[in-house]
Amino acid sequence: MKAGLKYCGGCRPDYDRTAAVKDIVKELGEGFELTGADDEESDLIIVVTGCKTACVDTSKLPDKPVRFISSLEDAQRFKEDMKNFLSKER
Amino acid sequence: MGKLMNAKQYEESLRKLNLKVYQFGRRVTNVVDDQIIRPSMNAVAATYECAHKPEYEDLMTTTSHITGKKINRFTHIHQSAEDLVKKSKMGRLLGSLTACCFQRCVGMDAMNALSITTYAIDQKYGTEYYKRFLKYLEYVQENDLTCDGAMTDPKGDRGLGPKKQFDPDLFMHVVEELPDGIVVSGAKAHQTGAVNSHEIIVMPTITMREEDADYAVSFALPADAEGITYIMGRQSCDTRKLEGMTFDRGNMFYGGHEALVVFEKVFVPWERVFMYREYDFSTMLVENFAAYHRQSYACKVGVGDVLIGAAQTVAEYNGAEKASHVKDKIIEMNHLNETLFCGCIACAAEGHREPSGTYQNDLLLANVHKQNITRFPYEIARLAQDIAGGLVVTCPSEADLKSSEVGRYVEKYFRTKADVPTEHRMRILRLIENITMGTAAVGYLTESMHGAGSPQAQRIMIARLVNMKAKQKVAKELCGILKSDNLA
Repeated sequence: MKAGLKYCGGCRPDYDRTAAVKDIVKELGEGFELTGADDEESDLIIVVTGCKTACVDTSKLPDKPVRFISSLEDAQRFKEDMKNFLSKER
Repeated sequence: MGKLMNAKQYEESLRKLNLKVYQFGRRVTNVVDDQIIRPSMNAVAATYECAHKPEYEDLMTTTSHITGKKINRFTHIHQSAEDLVKKSKMGRLLGSLTACCFQRCVGMDAMNALSITTYAIDQKYGTEYYKRFLKYLEYVQENDLTCDGAMTDPKGDRGLGPKKQFDPDLFMHVVEELPDGIVVSGAKAHQTGAVNSHEIIVMPTITMREEDADYAVSFALPADAEGITYIMGRQSCDTRKLEGMTFDRGNMFYGGHEALVVFEKVFVPWERVFMYREYDFSTMLVENFAAYHRQSYACKVGVGDVLIGAAQTVAEYNGAEKASHVKDKIIEMNHLNETLFCGCIACAAEGHREPSGTYQNDLLLANVHKQNITRFPYEIARLAQDIAGGLVVTCPSEADLKSSEVGRYVEKYFRTKADVPTEHRMRILRLIENITMGTAAVGYLTESMHGAGSPQAQRIMIARLVNMKAKQKVAKELCGILKSDNLA
C-alpha cells in the first residue's frame, strides 16, 4: 500500500501532525509506504490537517481516494482501517 | 517552479550584496556573519526553509498568477479572500516558530499595494506603471527575493507638510529628472529587515498635495544600489549577542532588526519607477499598504503562542501551575491571543477584489485588528511577567551559573524542584525576558504599537470607515424617533 502525504500549513495545530504521521508509519510497518502527495503511483492520499477547518489546498492532488486525518482519533481510525486492509491483503 | 530558495541559498544570495551598513559607528564589512545581525537573518531564512517543508508548504507557497509557477507566498499578489486568510495563517505560523519579527511581510504588502495603485494610475493617466510593476514582480518571484517595503519618512516637524520642512530631505523626494530615470534623496526610518533584503521598495509616507508633487514618488532599487546607506537601530540587550551562544540571549536562534536607510542622490531607472508626481494617488498607495500591513500583525499571535507556552512552563517549574489565579491568567493570555487571531482572519475572510484583480482586506476590520495589536500584546506580556515572578529581571547570568566559585549557589538557591534543572528555569525566564523587554520586545511590543501606523492612525480610519448613519437610523427607528416600514 502506497499512500501520498499532504499536510495543511499548520498555523495552529491541535496535535503534533508530523509525530502522528511517524506513528502511522511505525505502526503499520512493512506493506505501508508513504510517498509525495503528487505521486501518481500512490494508492490513496492521506491529507493531514492540524484542525477540523482543514483549509489545505487539495485541488492539485492526483485523482485518488483521499483520507482526511484531522485529529489523533482520526489517525487511530486510519491505522485500524489500514491494519484490517493489509491483513486481508496478506 | 520558479527559483524557490532554501535557507542556505538565501544566505549565500545575501553574501553577494555589497551593502553599506553601519553599526556602533563602524562599517559592518560582513553583514551576514555579524553576531548582532545574524539572528535576524536566521528569521528571514526560516521563511525560505519552511517553503520546502511538507508540513508547512501549503501556507508557505502558492501559484503565481502571472507565470503559473510555484512561488513563495511572500512574493504573491493575493488572488482571493482565501489567499488573504492563508497570509494571516502564515504570519501566525512563522511567529510561532521564530518568536520574533521575520521581516518579510512588509515587501509583500508593498507589492500588493502597488499592484492596486499602479493599475489605478494607469486607468486615469494612461501611464504604464502597472506593466512595469508586473515585470518587476516577475523578477522578484522568479528569483524568490526578499523586499523591504519602505514607507516611513523621518517627517521632521509633524506640524508641517513635506514642502514646508526646513530640510527637504526629511521626506523622500525627486531631486533631478534625467532622460533615463530620476535621482532621489531622503531617508526611510525604522526599516524592518532592511539589511536582510535583496530589494528596497519605496513608497510615499503620507497623503501628498499638489505642492508636494516632488515627494509623490514610488520605486524599487537593489538593496546595494549606489548611494544607499544603512544605520542599524539599537535594541535593548543587543550586545548580549556578542557574549557568544549563552542562554542569556533568551532566543538562541532568531531575532529582528530595524535600520535607518539613507538615500543620497540615488539614481532610479524609469523601468523601476511606479509613481512619479501623481500626488493624487499617494493616499491610495498609503492606505492600501496600511491595510495589508495592519493585517500582517497576525505574526504577533504566533509570538504570543510562544510567550504563553513559556509562561505555562515557568509556572510548572515554579510549582504554581495549579494555583487558580495562575490558571486564570493563562486563560486570559489565550483569550487575548485568540481574539487577535479572530481579527486577522476576519479582515482577510471579508476581503474584496480590486479593479486590478488583487484582493484587499476589509479595511475597517484590518484597522480594528491592528488597534487590538497595539494593546493586547502588552497585557499578554504583563501577565507573563506576573506569572514568571521577579526572577525574570534579577536572574544571574549563565556565566554565574557555570562559575566554579558561585555556580553552586546559583544552582542551589534558584532550584525549585528536584526534577527541574536550575538551568532550565533560567533559560525559560530568559526567553520571557527576551520577548517582553529584551531584543524581541522591539517586535512584540513597540512595533505592535507603532508599526503599520501608530494607534491614532487606526482610530482615524475606524471613525472614517464605520457606517454611523446606519447605526443611528436603526436606533432612532427602534425608539420611535423615526418611522420605519420594516418594523411592525
